[in-house]
Amino acid sequence: MLLEIHDPKARPRPIGIDLGTTNSLVARVRDGRPVVIDDCGEPAMVPSAVAYTDGGEVVVGKAALRLSSENPANAAVSVKRLMGRGADDPETRRLGTYDFVAPTNENEAKSVRFRVAGRVLSPIEVSAEILKALRQIAEAELRSVGGAVITVPAYFDDAQRQATKDAAKLAGIEVLRLLNEPTAAALAYGLEKKQNGLFAVYDLGGGTFDITILRLHDGVFEVKSTGGDSQLGGDDMDRAIADVLLREMRGSADVATAPRSVVRLALDLARRAKHGLTDAEAVDVEVPGKGEGGEAINKSVTITRAQLDALILPMVERTGSACKRAMRDAGVTSAEIDGVILVGGSTRVPIVRTFVAKVFGKEPLGDIDPDQVVALGAAVQADLLAGEGNAEDVLLLDVLPLSLGIATMGGVVEKILPRNTTIPAGARQTFTTYADNQTGFDLHVVQGERELAADCRSLAQFFLKGIPPLPAGLARLEVTFHVDADGMLSVKARETTTGVEQTIAVQPSYGLTDEQVEEMLMAAIDHGEEDLAARRLLEERVEAERIVGATIKAITGDADLLEDGERARIETAIRELREAIGGDKPALIHARSEMLDQATKGWAERRMDRAIARAIAGKNVGDVEGDVEGARGVDAHVAEHAARRGGGEI
Amino acid sequence: MDAFDTLGLAPAFDLDEAELAKRHRDLVKALHPDKFVGCPPAERRMALGKTIEVNEAVRTLRDPIRRAEVLARRRGLPVGETSEPAPPAALLMEMMEEREELAEATGARDALRVEKMAIRMRTRQAAVQKRLGEALASEARTGEVLPILGEMRYVRRLLDDVLAFEDSLF
Repeated sequence: MLLEIHDPKARPRPIGIDLGTTNSLVARVRDGRPVVIDDCGEPAMVPSAVAYTDGGEVVVGKAALRLSSENPANAAVSVKRLMGRGADDPETRRLGTYDFVAPTNENEAKSVRFRVAGRVLSPIEVSAEILKALRQIAEAELRSVGGAVITVPAYFDDAQRQATKDAAKLAGIEVLRLLNEPTAAALAYGLEKKQNGLFAVYDLGGGTFDITILRLHDGVFEVKSTGGDSQLGGDDMDRAIADVLLREMRGSADVATAPRSVVRLALDLARRAKHGLTDAEAVDVEVPGKGEGGEAINKSVTITRAQLDALILPMVERTGSACKRAMRDAGVTSAEIDGVILVGGSTRVPIVRTFVAKVFGKEPLGDIDPDQVVALGAAVQADLLAGEGNAEDVLLLDVLPLSLGIATMGGVVEKILPRNTTIPAGARQTFTTYADNQTGFDLHVVQGERELAADCRSLAQFFLKGIPPLPAGLARLEVTFHVDADGMLSVKARETTTGVEQTIAVQPSYGLTDEQVEEMLMAAIDHGEEDLAARRLLEERVEAERIVGATIKAITGDADLLEDGERARIETAIRELREAIGGDKPALIHARSEMLDQATKGWAERRMDRAIARAIAGKNVGDVEGDVEGARGVDAHVAEHAARRGGGEI
Repeated sequence: MDAFDTLGLAPAFDLDEAELAKRHRDLVKALHPDKFVGCPPAERRMALGKTIEVNEAVRTLRDPIRRAEVLARRRGLPVGETSEPAPPAALLMEMMEEREELAEATGARDALRVEKMAIRMRTRQAAVQKRLGEALASEARTGEVLPILGEMRYVRRLLDDVLAFEDSLF
């Protein structure tokens, strides 16, 4: 049974979470500055490891790592690399210590699953345990946690982002925003330095590599381009060293036949050797091996920095290509970049620092701990989103990391939103039928840069029915893509020629359905339905109180835009909603929230129009006159053109 | 509402990049969904929709081809590849030859040769873009807009293939 620290009477506070491959952290803003929250007196850097004891207890962090070295079969580590991956993903066949479970049906194949201590788990459930542990650390200090910004690698695709959101949902954490890790780091740095300019964020973590080029201008952090590799990081360095150690231990590096406990030991020793080589030129590693006669002996293996450099050079060079591509995509050269920010524990490896300095032609900045900077940035963004910070001045504008498209006939991808498009983003594309009397469209949404759908990530597949039979090419299907500020995609499709409209909810090709998440939630909570209802009530209350607060604040600011009787209607709606909040019916709170929503809609539109007019108002009178003249010119052109076209037809 | 209206900018092909960037910043600072957290859902949806419009308008105006399309539409020209006039045979011929040259160079993975082509195409793109700007600036030359736009599209497609090749090298 978990210790319940949560205090419902305390004011909920926002937190920032860096859910890492190797370590996870939780941070918050205290007295205007982001700080990592302490656990037992030291900054809580929780190893991203979860162990399951024979007694059915779930253990997270350092204790889990300890249990894991005793019995790797009872623990899960580095699951971030498996987030949003299907059972058939190549990642599942790489050097690791998982006991993967083959899917028995199509639904199961959507998420990789593995066996830990006799349980069959998905990476989402394991991540949820880590998030729960972080939430408890935060609750110990803050009494009540109000919502979290959780960071993800910029290069995470839609399925990986969705998996992260699902994990948060399972952990009972409200996600204020998924924030890209490099952007979070830039936020922590940028606010510290208050300096405009062009920055590169080089983020090499335990399992992922991101490179982001962004411009900081008067509080707006505008990402220009991003790139990377969602499966490249310190883990790969460990694997390369572990290969060497395994050869010494077993005479061959054949991982397939090595027991998982041996692989785990080799990986642990490899990581320690890597850390040692940050300061030393050579380290000795004691490994168990076999003597001449096959007897068990301890061997000492020396690994030098030069050896390490040679092993990891190919990985480091891969990051270099991504850096060059990101600069090209941003339309900048290395000379224009004002500063390079290093993020992630793997940037401590000396050859990585040297390499980064070479690629960008300047020494990287390192004044914020690369392990903490992402969590600190997340805390700042959480504070802004919760309306606690100085939100007027700061805004993050991120981009789509990978192109989104539709697979057309023949499996060729038609890109609808290219990579590095600023989000939130939307685009619309029209497709036509290819066969006579075709009554349905098969839509396949993919993400990636390759030309063929088969080489891209499949995000969703759905079938639009009910199209009236028409000759080929006559029916028109309009597909709309929307990407929100979390970088999450939604797709709508409608047939336009005949007026038949159909909107389809996308079923993800990977990840979990809402029902599956709900089921896991039920299973995870001790009292099942009862607790779920209590949680829903709490969530509705928090949300409704927030809306009431925002509306009252808006009335003080924009009262002049209220029409006759509108204020009275809004105030009635607020009173009724407050009554519902005082009660215990989540459905009633929800319904009353919607009524307030309706009552404020017209007014909100007017406020938004005024905000637009104010934003544009920077222009001078001459520009306005120019606009009017331009408009007249258009009319003249239209008339002229119509006349000419008319002449042509005779 | 076209992209110029959305951003409140005077319609012109020669666009001040810095002004566009500033207007973008000013508008998203006012409209971004992050500024509406905790507001009623309808308002949040509205903010999201408006921000998408603004971002899309900026994307449109940053791209010379799409910017020219917006301006051509303002003149009532039938924009869109299916309605635009067919390109002259000479241009088609020339582009076919360039395409063959590019296919050969990429097939041989001859990065230097591709780069040489890319430089030639970028120079050409700049020249075509200049002509397009001139045609769009003068009402008397409206008739030239679509043919030049067509030429831009051909050059762009070649450059897209160059980019795809570069991507495969990274």
